[in-house]
Amino acid sequence: MAEENKKSGGISRRSFLKGLGGGVAGAATLSPTGLLSEETTKAILGPQAEMLSGSQKIQLKINGKTSSVTVEPRTTLLSALRNQLELTGSKEVCDRGQCGACTVNIDGKTQLSCMTLAVDARGKKITTVEGLAQGDELTAVQQAFVEKDALMCGFCTPGFVMSATALLKQNPSPNMDEIKKGVSGNLCRCGTYPKVFEAIDAAAKKMRKGG
Amino acid sequence: MAAWKPLDEMNILSSRYPRIDGPLKVSGKAKYTHDLKPEGLLYGLILHSPHPAAKIVGIDASKVEQHPGVKAVLTDLHPTGTCRYVGDTIAAVAVTSPEIAHDVLDLFKVDYEILPFSADLDAAMKEGAARVFADKDNISEPRIDGEGEIESAFGPDDIIVEATYRTQVQTHACLEVHGSLAMWKGDDLYLWDSTQAVHGVRESVARYLELPMDKVHVICHHMGGGFGSKLQAGNYSAIAARLAKLADAPVKLMLTREQDFIAAGNRPDSIQKIKAAVNREGKLSAFQVTTYATAGIASRAGVRIPIVYEDIPAWRHEHYDVYTNAGAARAFRAPGCPQGAFAMEQIMDELAEKVGMDPLEFRLKNDSNSTRQKEWRIGAERIGWQRRRKQPGSDAGQIKRGVGLAAGIWWPGGRGTQAQMTIYPDGAVEVRCGTQDIGTGSRTLVAAVAAEELGLQVKDITSLVGESDFPKSGSSGGSTTSPSVAPAIKNTAEKAKARLAELAAEQLGALAVDVQFADGKAMANGKSLNWKALCGLLGTDPITVHGEWVEGLSSAGVAGCQFAEVAVDTDTGRIQVEKLVAVADCGLVLNRLTAESQVNGAVIQGISYALLENRLMDPVTGSQINADFENYKILGALEVPEIEVIFFDEAERGVIGIGEPPKVPTAGAVANAVYNAIGVRIREIPMTPDRVLMALAKA
Amino acid sequence: MVNFEYIDAKSLGDVPDLLGKRWGESEILAGGTDLLDRLKERLDTPKRVINIKGLKELHGIQNGDGLKIGTLTTIAELAADERVHKSYPVLAEAAASIATPQLRNMGTVGGNLCQRPRCWYYRGLEYKCLKKGGAKCYAAEGLNKYNAILGGGPSFIVHPSDSAPALIALGAKIELLSADGKEEMPLDEFFELPIDNLRRENVMNPNEILTTITVPKQPNGTRSTYLKFREKQSLDFAISSVAAVLQLQGSTVKSARIVLGGVAPIPWRAEAAEAALTGKTLTAANIAAAAKASTDGADPMTQNAYKVMLTQNLVKRALEKLAG
Repeated sequence: MAEENKKSGGISRRSFLKGLGGGVAGAATLSPTGLLSEETTKAILGPQAEMLSGSQKIQLKINGKTSSVTVEPRTTLLSALRNQLELTGSKEVCDRGQCGACTVNIDGKTQLSCMTLAVDARGKKITTVEGLAQGDELTAVQQAFVEKDALMCGFCTPGFVMSATALLKQNPSPNMDEIKKGVSGNLCRCGTYPKVFEAIDAAAKKMRKGG
Repeated sequence: MAAWKPLDEMNILSSRYPRIDGPLKVSGKAKYTHDLKPEGLLYGLILHSPHPAAKIVGIDASKVEQHPGVKAVLTDLHPTGTCRYVGDTIAAVAVTSPEIAHDVLDLFKVDYEILPFSADLDAAMKEGAARVFADKDNISEPRIDGEGEIESAFGPDDIIVEATYRTQVQTHACLEVHGSLAMWKGDDLYLWDSTQAVHGVRESVARYLELPMDKVHVICHHMGGGFGSKLQAGNYSAIAARLAKLADAPVKLMLTREQDFIAAGNRPDSIQKIKAAVNREGKLSAFQVTTYATAGIASRAGVRIPIVYEDIPAWRHEHYDVYTNAGAARAFRAPGCPQGAFAMEQIMDELAEKVGMDPLEFRLKNDSNSTRQKEWRIGAERIGWQRRRKQPGSDAGQIKRGVGLAAGIWWPGGRGTQAQMTIYPDGAVEVRCGTQDIGTGSRTLVAAVAAEELGLQVKDITSLVGESDFPKSGSSGGSTTSPSVAPAIKNTAEKAKARLAELAAEQLGALAVDVQFADGKAMANGKSLNWKALCGLLGTDPITVHGEWVEGLSSAGVAGCQFAEVAVDTDTGRIQVEKLVAVADCGLVLNRLTAESQVNGAVIQGISYALLENRLMDPVTGSQINADFENYKILGALEVPEIEVIFFDEAERGVIGIGEPPKVPTAGAVANAVYNAIGVRIREIPMTPDRVLMALAKA
Repeated sequence: MVNFEYIDAKSLGDVPDLLGKRWGESEILAGGTDLLDRLKERLDTPKRVINIKGLKELHGIQNGDGLKIGTLTTIAELAADERVHKSYPVLAEAAASIATPQLRNMGTVGGNLCQRPRCWYYRGLEYKCLKKGGAKCYAAEGLNKYNAILGGGPSFIVHPSDSAPALIALGAKIELLSADGKEEMPLDEFFELPIDNLRRENVMNPNEILTTITVPKQPNGTRSTYLKFREKQSLDFAISSVAAVLQLQGSTVKSARIVLGGVAPIPWRAEAAEAALTGKTLTAANIAAAAKASTDGADPMTQNAYKVMLTQNLVKRALEKLAG
């Protein structure tokens, strides 16, 4: 029997031997899908529990202001930014966390908006590339990217700018190795890297001088 | 004939100045096709074939049509009904939200009759391989090129080397996927397209949809990378237009990342079997090469070889296109050349070694290009050619270093661009040109040439590009853009200047021909009129002039050479390019800053091609197994070497394009450096760690 | 992605019950970097996703007699932790080698241990492979340069975790919470070979959650390091990696733990190499013998024989580094 089970796969030896049962779930009602019924879920979580399904309106704090978006649980933050708020500076490139073009800052850390659910971003402080400059006044990092030509087609550029900004906040005097590591999660296909490194170095120097 | 003013009189051109759309791009404000969202936008999706070879027996879209988020469906898209690669278009649909894409696509029921397939070059060339096209062999009739009598050219006293080289399929992997947004206004089709050719796309789409050309308006203000893959119209443009018509709403159809990999172009691979001879004087005397390469279901997988060293008394190149069940190739930065140069530069080194010559000395002896003769010496000095290991592989320890070299080359010039300039009474200047800025800086170049000519600053010019309603310019390909656009802008500005000079002349009491434009002023007779005051003389009517490309300001033909220094870790097989010196020439350098970026980019793509990139076709299913950025590996920040770009100025030749030539030599230079480091020649790219380790183990 | 219902877990005790009893019905959302990838590819189509990020007790590193690492501690936090750097270099180096800065900010230690394989056949919905309930391991007859050289069969995936080899080499234990209560086990016993468990890579049940990782205080004289080899440094998984923890007494190796990553379906204890070192000094000859022994039993596939050489060389380097 145990051998049989191994061959069919799917259930580990431990789970087979140990079995299941006991606890709250043991007594709980199962819905036809096998999942806990909504009623039981509420019983587990308490009456205040929030279970989201289908489309609904949520609030997101983006670039210092609160915005409403209508999302499903599966809607990514990137999709909400791009398709609902028209904050299209965060780019959809790989949509799998492999390129960094959708990098945003969430609660002080660079994160990938394509790998973040919009519902999971509620209550968090989100900064996108559109939230860096004060009006037309570019940040030192942005200015340096322009001056050093750290962009060609520009599609990866917002992601690089986000990573560079976070890097310099964490480490105001990075050496070349630290600069490269700081943007190693961002992919550029035009091959702009040398000028990106140069721009970050120049921005760091300028910011240290208080410029 | 038209001429540029001397370099020392130029204020802008040939200096370094930032691109004018930089602020838009660093702040996320630049709107690419992928970013646009007009009111009521629908999202277009393509259902593609999951089979490398199959007949479409039937498409049942009834469930699709019932989905509430579906606004239009097309099932008549396949021209023949026989799919020949994974990724072939089967059907398309317009939906209300991108989230429901898979929900909807899963509702299509397609009946296929599965056919046998040949997934890659080796499979397709095997005896009894499945035919990609029922009516023809996978291996096409040869194309034969050559000079002299090859049969008798290999002499008894010659030094002969025979070797086979292989290169892989490289995909463009543009960060902005291919796609279009189509919107109808009455009978007029507005098409935002991620393209390298707004005019070309207008012609193709108008022809395909049987619309008058003036009813099709193609727009591409910002574009996220093309590298040749966006020179032609894609089927997605016409599909978006049809969906938009059906749904009576704008439709944006961007390919998925996977579709972009499998169906939107690639650089063909190659097998190159070479026999080459050198005579006792150290000159190439005979060169025989047979090449096989696949462009997938397309033809024209050609390899340019011999390349650079073409003064060979006798040579013959026999080329066979091989059909495979894979997406069609498209032009990719210097089509055919990096493949040929990878093999050519290595066999040059192999010949030099056998004949007992230094590889550089051997190049100098066999390279007839006078520009490159100088460039070789500059590059050798910058890399420190004397540090080359006399005995390849002689470094002690596990990390072994070496130096290698290779030559760049390119031919086309550019012509044919038209432009329009409007000068307003308040001093504003607008230039319209139907070229497009694909990241090369052409928008900036338009402003810079106009500003130089009018004696203004770059910021004073509004440069409008990327619309097919603007005066015609060609596609941004073949390194033709700068040599085609810059002369047209200069010519247009000259015409505007002539009109303004007449106005100024009256005020300054001089002849129009004596009026000079500089520093924001019109000057003559020791008197001057500032730009605003001058334009004020127009009264209420702006002036608009048209100009075009003229002879004398641009030319064709680029040399260039590169030297690479690598470190090979013989424990792991990893190759790190530590330094790359690129000596480049492009006549008059219009903007040193953006020109350097072009060379950097070509070099980085070249190293990536040499070390990592490889489209892998699964032999079991015939699909690309690595159609993503995790497994289609592209050089990243931590792999980029120090790159030194040196421009060999030949301003007297006028403007020449620089996008492609520096991509040609890189893989060859790296491969030669690897041999110098480890003493084992790796004749196949990408030179991944597994290949390096296995080659070292065999040696 | 197929749509699902979403719950923010408010208390750890609720989680096992919310997860339910069958695989595939619920998924835990922590860092999300692996989960969203699988959801987007539709490898998993859960009816419910339970976000556990709000559970404060699962965050952070506590220092007692050793380390107690909450499952939600991010890889970035682990890589930046002073105590980890000072006393557990193998873990700090492993953490720093993972993915990219953004993914390290998102990904959690628990997620790194529980992540699913990267095998390209597993990751493609179109390949109905053994791991997904299909009839064959495509890698066996297809493209297998990144697949297993050790412990393979019938599936030839490799375990992608970097933190797991380091933690196993340090003798870490984990705590699982199910509806039945807590259970502690050595991390070494957490992972399972395909021959024992074809569909999953570890012993967890559908209604379990990994809550804590405890790393014992290392004895005096412990030296450790993690070497990872990948084709490119900017975002890549290990082709082969080695976590080596040696306890030295003078110049003699009192005990050795050598765990390999990226070469087997589970983090692979190189027991023969450990035995070859125990009681020996770190001479070049002994290091070479241990390096050779590290791949004992290797059975390379058609395209991955290089991983045997590579792994031996990495072990040699790691040991040379610890000897130096």
